Amino acid sequence: MADKVENTRSLRYRGRIEQVGICFVRLIRLFVYQNDWKLLPMAVIIAGLVSLVVRNDFFVTMEGTLKGALALSCVAIWNGCFNSVQVICRERDIIKREHRSGMHISSYIVSHMLYQAILCLVQSGLTVYICIIMGIKIPAQGLLTPWMVVDIGITVFLISYSADMIALWISCLVHNTTTAMSIMPFLLITQLVFSGGIFTLPAWSDGISGLMISNYGVKCIAAQADYNNLPMATAWNTIMKLKDQDITVQASVEQIVIMLDSDENEMVVAIRTKRIADASQELLEIFAPEEAQQFTEFLNMIGAAPDNTTFGDAIDAFRESKAYENAKGKTFTFHVTIWKLIELIGVEKVQDFLQVNAAVTQQKPYYEMSQQNIANYWIHFLFFILAFGALSIVTLEFVDKDKR
Amino acid sequence: MEDMFIKILTVLLELLLGTSTWWRIIFRLLYIFGLYGVFRKCGVKPWKAFIPFVREYEIAVCADHEMEGRTIAVLSVLSTIISLITDGIGYDFPTAVTLLLGSLAVAIIIVSIIYDIRIMLGLCEVFQRRKRWLWVWILLDPVAAVLWGWNDKFQPSMKVEDLREDALKIVKGTTGHTEMGEGLSVNLTERTVTEFFHKRYLLRDISMNIKPGHMVLLLGGSGAGKTTFLNAVNGYEKAKAKVLLNGKDVYSDYKKMQYQIGFVPQQNLMRGKDTISHTVDDAALLRLPTNVNPQDRKTREGEVLDIFGLGASKDNHVEKLSGGQLRRLSIAMEFISNPSLFILDEPDSGLDGVMARELMTQLRKIADQGKIVIVITHTPDRVIDLFDDVIVLAKDSHRTGRLAFFGSIDEARSFFGRDSMEKIVMSINSKDAGGEGRADEFIRKYAEVCNG
Repeated sequence: MADKVENTRSLRYRGRIEQVGICFVRLIRLFVYQNDWKLLPMAVIIAGLVSLVVRNDFFVTMEGTLKGALALSCVAIWNGCFNSVQVICRERDIIKREHRSGMHISSYIVSHMLYQAILCLVQSGLTVYICIIMGIKIPAQGLLTPWMVVDIGITVFLISYSADMIALWISCLVHNTTTAMSIMPFLLITQLVFSGGIFTLPAWSDGISGLMISNYGVKCIAAQADYNNLPMATAWNTIMKLKDQDITVQASVEQIVIMLDSDENEMVVAIRTKRIADASQELLEIFAPEEAQQFTEFLNMIGAAPDNTTFGDAIDAFRESKAYENAKGKTFTFHVTIWKLIELIGVEKVQDFLQVNAAVTQQKPYYEMSQQNIANYWIHFLFFILAFGALSIVTLEFVDKDKR
Repeated sequence: MEDMFIKILTVLLELLLGTSTWWRIIFRLLYIFGLYGVFRKCGVKPWKAFIPFVREYEIAVCADHEMEGRTIAVLSVLSTIISLITDGIGYDFPTAVTLLLGSLAVAIIIVSIIYDIRIMLGLCEVFQRRKRWLWVWILLDPVAAVLWGWNDKFQPSMKVEDLREDALKIVKGTTGHTEMGEGLSVNLTERTVTEFFHKRYLLRDISMNIKPGHMVLLLGGSGAGKTTFLNAVNGYEKAKAKVLLNGKDVYSDYKKMQYQIGFVPQQNLMRGKDTISHTVDDAALLRLPTNVNPQDRKTREGEVLDIFGLGASKDNHVEKLSGGQLRRLSIAMEFISNPSLFILDEPDSGLDGVMARELMTQLRKIADQGKIVIVITHTPDRVIDLFDDVIVLAKDSHRTGRLAFFGSIDEARSFFGRDSMEKIVMSINSKDAGGEGRADEFIRKYAEVCNG
């Protein structure tokens, strides 16, 4: 054997591709012993915690979806970063030794890229699985695959893997794990702030947010959730918080009669079926008009019909009368709670109006649910992955220049 | 036109003095005048006080805080650039950019203050003054600079050496050994590094021929350049040198020659979570040529494990091994490729006398197979009988590693007039390191012997 080695000086040694295999097999072998396995349960726990918070409104409302998209992106970025931020720097001296013994840096990094891809893939699968079992309602129909859950899984994987590659580059750049872990908060905070998911970003930050995977991650997941066509709950929720507030409303006789003519509104229908005296009393209580005397006279005018008819019949009769023509321009000032007013207009009607019309103001082209848009985001992620993978190789090629 | 002239003048003043306000200019000029004196006293070229950024670096050099000087110089450049961008060039940047640069400037100022404090404390030490002078330097730096620079009562305890000038004065070393066909031939002219515009000599004028089958001891005090020399010999850190191994140039054909050279580093650089057999297998896969079939490779791995007494524990994890086993595994990883030149950096560190002897005996056996084995050890006398030759590297008065001796063990004893290797090291070590400080003397003596 020794002779064979002696005689093979001019023969070739293992090239880059063969060395990728050697390093990759070693990484897989060390997976269990080197505590990397802990990254998997950690991913499950993080996904579980985040799902608990966002599960009700994710894929349901605009706000919930944006919140969920940000949370899912952050989970993916967190997983990716912590997968690789220490892997190179913790064995930097070993790499130097192996490099001088003939190991190619490119092979070493590519093997890590392959290994990290598998790790991110498993973590992303687990994350999406946890989201499903936590009750997040992911739509069935996918855009680029037949299943939306697979589409979302691919996006989570690409976000996670992009973050992984950035962290891998940082790990190549720094010389020890302490420095690597000190850089991590800066990386994560920058990603969070410039994601566009928490703050409305000013125009000057476009260049910076264009470099953030979190920004593309939030947009991609929101687009997959069909953000633009979801209702917006904020306006309705705000009104609900103010429902007991008194407001002052001015309305003409004509407006009051039109409002009391509706057969779609439950409250109005209930009033219309009541006897005139009862209905008049209720309306006085609801509206509490400033001009109480005049309003009572107006109600009496409606109640000129025989006493045994309902208020609805009396209103219909009043609309046809000469008295209505004379009185319809007259206005009253009412003090009423917001909720009572909404009930009079119709709860569903108001809710639908607010959710749909408020949502229109929030629709953005980058949230468009289209194959081209999603594919565009995926291409961005691939660019990040390849760019930072290449940067890692270039950076680590200088490992021999470390000061002794 | 007048406005433009004032603008240019302002920018120039900002650049040169860091200010354009008249009273600040006076203060700054006083400070520079003071620094001129400080530099003169410390052995730095005084005119450097007039050059912005350089003066910040040089004052740190005077304070024996050269590394801090580099940082402060870079920070000064950045701070000036930011100042010019935001104030100097008159362009109306968006508020966000100005605020961002402003935040950066604040961060730079904080770091600069910390580094300034370190440098000024260093200056107090060099001038043997109380630390309370720091406050004068911070609050009234022109006064402090003028006082320290021009008052004869303030004198530095050490001067900055200008290695570039002194390097010309040092003696000619041992160059020009005849190259041999077999064995290792080293003709190293110089090994330098450039740090912040300063060229520093790590090694100079080292020549020798080592015959195959020789086990060579590499001796030298701390910082003499032993590891640097070995890295230069094996081509890992190239020097201005010609290194031939069995007639082949190590530098020009490094990609192939690296497999003929085994270098065992000082630390046990292996993955603790891997097993011995996997570690050796990975080493074999990397170091053996592709024509060695898996069966032969496994046989070789088994042989090497047996040679180094690791066969029985091959399934153990590396992190569970004893210090001796770790060293042997580290050596086995390099020996797997059966290298012609085997270099070991302190292979016996952390081992007791018996284990160290055992290890060195194994290395002797490797040398007896016709290999060249070069070993650095700090406890040579307990195993000196196993060595054929000794290389003695010494740090000269300019902190450059030089060859003080190369030859047989007996010749070394006679050359240095000492009966043990440890005493030889003592004689060449500087007085600061507890030695006799005779490095220059032996470097000259050996150069004279070699040059006839």
